[in-house]
Amino acid sequence: MTGRLADRLIVNLAALLVLAFAAGPILLAAFGSVVPDRILFDRDRSVLEGGMTLDNYRYIFTGRLPAAYMAEGANRAMISDAARQVPRSLWNSAQISTSVLALNLLLGAPAAFAFARFAFPRKKPAFLFLILSPLVPAVALVTPIYLLVDGLDLLGTKLAVVLVHTARSLPFTILILSVFFRKLPEELFEAAVIDGCSRLQSFLRVALPLALPAVCATGLFAFMLSYTEFLFSMVLSGDARSRPLSVVMAALARNTDVSWSLLNSAIFIAVLPTLLLVVLVWRYVVEGLLAGAVKG
Amino acid sequence: MWRSARFPVLWVGAPLLLVTLFTVVPIGHTLWTSLHSAHFLFPDELSWSGLDNYRKVIAGPFFLTTLKNSLLFTAVTAPVVVGLGIATALLLQRRFTGRAVLRSVVLLPWVLPGAITAVLWIWVFNPSWGMLNTWLRDLGLITSSIPWLSDPSLAFASVAVAHIWSQVPFSVVLIMAALSTIDPALFEAARIDGANAWQRFRFVVWPAIKAMVVVLLVYNALTAFTTYDVVYAMTGGGPGTATSLLSFQIWRESFSMYDFGAGSAVAFLVVAMAGLMIVAITRALPSDLFAATEDEAP
Repeated sequence: MTGRLADRLIVNLAALLVLAFAAGPILLAAFGSVVPDRILFDRDRSVLEGGMTLDNYRYIFTGRLPAAYMAEGANRAMISDAARQVPRSLWNSAQISTSVLALNLLLGAPAAFAFARFAFPRKKPAFLFLILSPLVPAVALVTPIYLLVDGLDLLGTKLAVVLVHTARSLPFTILILSVFFRKLPEELFEAAVIDGCSRLQSFLRVALPLALPAVCATGLFAFMLSYTEFLFSMVLSGDARSRPLSVVMAALARNTDVSWSLLNSAIFIAVLPTLLLVVLVWRYVVEGLLAGAVKG
Repeated sequence: MWRSARFPVLWVGAPLLLVTLFTVVPIGHTLWTSLHSAHFLFPDELSWSGLDNYRKVIAGPFFLTTLKNSLLFTAVTAPVVVGLGIATALLLQRRFTGRAVLRSVVLLPWVLPGAITAVLWIWVFNPSWGMLNTWLRDLGLITSSIPWLSDPSLAFASVAVAHIWSQVPFSVVLIMAALSTIDPALFEAARIDGANAWQRFRFVVWPAIKAMVVVLLVYNALTAFTTYDVVYAMTGGGPGTATSLLSFQIWRESFSMYDFGAGSAVAFLVVAMAGLMIVAITRALPSDLFAATEDEAP
C-alpha cells in the first residue's frame, strides 16, 4: 500500500515538474506583461504595492502610452514603435498561414490519396523524395530561394512566403494524410467502384468526407509550421506592411532598449492564438494519430 | 487499390513541382555557385574556381570553430531531447489528475516561433534580472549573479536548454504514437510474471519504441545541426564565438563578407552532412511504412 502511495506521489511530482518546465517560461511572460518595468527590476518593491496594469496591451492596440512612462524621469525611449506592429503582423500571419493551410489541403489531400490508394510506377521514389525534402536545412536554401523569388519578381509579397511555406509543409501534410487514407477500410472503395465511382469520385465522395476531421487537423498542422517559420519569412516578406509575426517578434527580441514588460505583452498576444492551436492540434491530429496506430 | 501504368501527374504533380522548385533547384544553384567565385556587387560575373571556395572556407578562421560548436550542440541536445521525450511520454501514459491538461501544455513550446522561445528563455537566464538568478538569490543559494549568458560555457548550456525545450514536444508525440501500438495484454502478462518496472521497460516498452527512438535521434541530430533562430535570437552567436553555429557561418560568409561563393560552399557542406544523416534516417525508418500498401495489393 505504501508502495503504491509512493508511486502516485512520484507520478504527480513528475507531472508538476513537466508542467513547470513546459509552461513556466510562458507564465513568466504573462506575469511580466502586466507588471511595469520599475517593479519588475526592483527587488525591494513587491508586485503587490506597485499594482498590475494592462497599459502595455492598450498601448499595443491603441498607441496610448502606458502611465508608467508618462511619469517624470521615465525613459520614453524604451517604448518602441515596433511593438505597435504586432497586431498588424498577427493579421499578416493569419493571412499567410491560412493560405498555406488551404493550399496544403488543395494540393496535399489528392496527392496523399494517390500515394495511399493507387499503385503506380515510381511511387516509392516519388514518396521518399517528398517526405525527405523537408530534412534539407532551410539555412542552406535561403540564399538561392531569395534569388529565385527575386527572379520571379515576387520579392516582398505575401505570395512568395506562402509558396515557400507550402513547399516546406506539403510533405508533412502528405505523409500524415496518407496514413489516414490508408487506414480507411478497403471494402469501402471496392463498394464505390462497384457502384460505378471513378477514382476522383471515390476520393471526393468517400474518402474525403470520412477523413474530414483528420484533413482539417492536418491543415492546422501546416498552419502551425507556417506560423512559426522565421528565416524565409524574414528574407522574403519585405517591409512592415507584409511582415508576419515571427519576424516582428524577432526584431523586438533583438532590440535591447525595448521595455521588458512591453515585450512580454507582445509575446503574450502572440502566444494566445497558439494556445488555441495547441488544443486543436492535440485534440484532432495527435489523438487521431494515436487512435490510428492502435487500430493499424 | 487502383493500379495504373501511368504516373498520376494530376494527383501528385503539383506538390512534386513545388518541392522540386524550392528544394532541388536551390541545392543545384548552391552547388553551382560554390564552384564559382561570386561577389555580391557583381553577381553576374561568375568565373569557374573549382574547389577554391571550399579550401578557403575550411582554412578560414571560423569554419572549424563553428563546426565544432555545431557538433557539440548536436551531441548534447539530440540525446537529451529524445530521453526527455521518452520520459514525458511514459509519464503521460499514466493516470493522474490533470493529465488531459498536461497533454496539451507539453505541446506549447512546439507552436511558438523561435524568437519568442528565445525571449522567454532570456527572461529566465538573464544574469541581472533573469528569474533563475533572482530565485537562486532569494533562496540564498548564491550571493553574486551567475553569468548565464555571458560566460562561454554557461551560454552554450543556456541556449542548449532553450533548444531542448522547443524540441521535446515533437518527440513526446511520436514516442506516444509508438507506445500506443503496445498491446495492453503484454503489460498485464509482464505484471503477472512479476516483472519490475525496469524489466517492463526493457522487455515490453523498449522493443516497441526502439525504431522510433532511432528515427528521432537522427531527426533531432539533423534539427540541432542546422538550427539558427532560437540560438541566434538568444545570444547572437556570442559571447565571442561560444554559441556560433555552422548555420550562422553560411550567413556570415554570404551576407557580412558578401562572398556568395564561400557562403554557398559552407551551405553545400551543410547539405552534404545533412544528406548523410538523411541516408541514416531512411535506413532507420521502419520498413512497414510502405509494407502496408504493398501487402494490401490484391
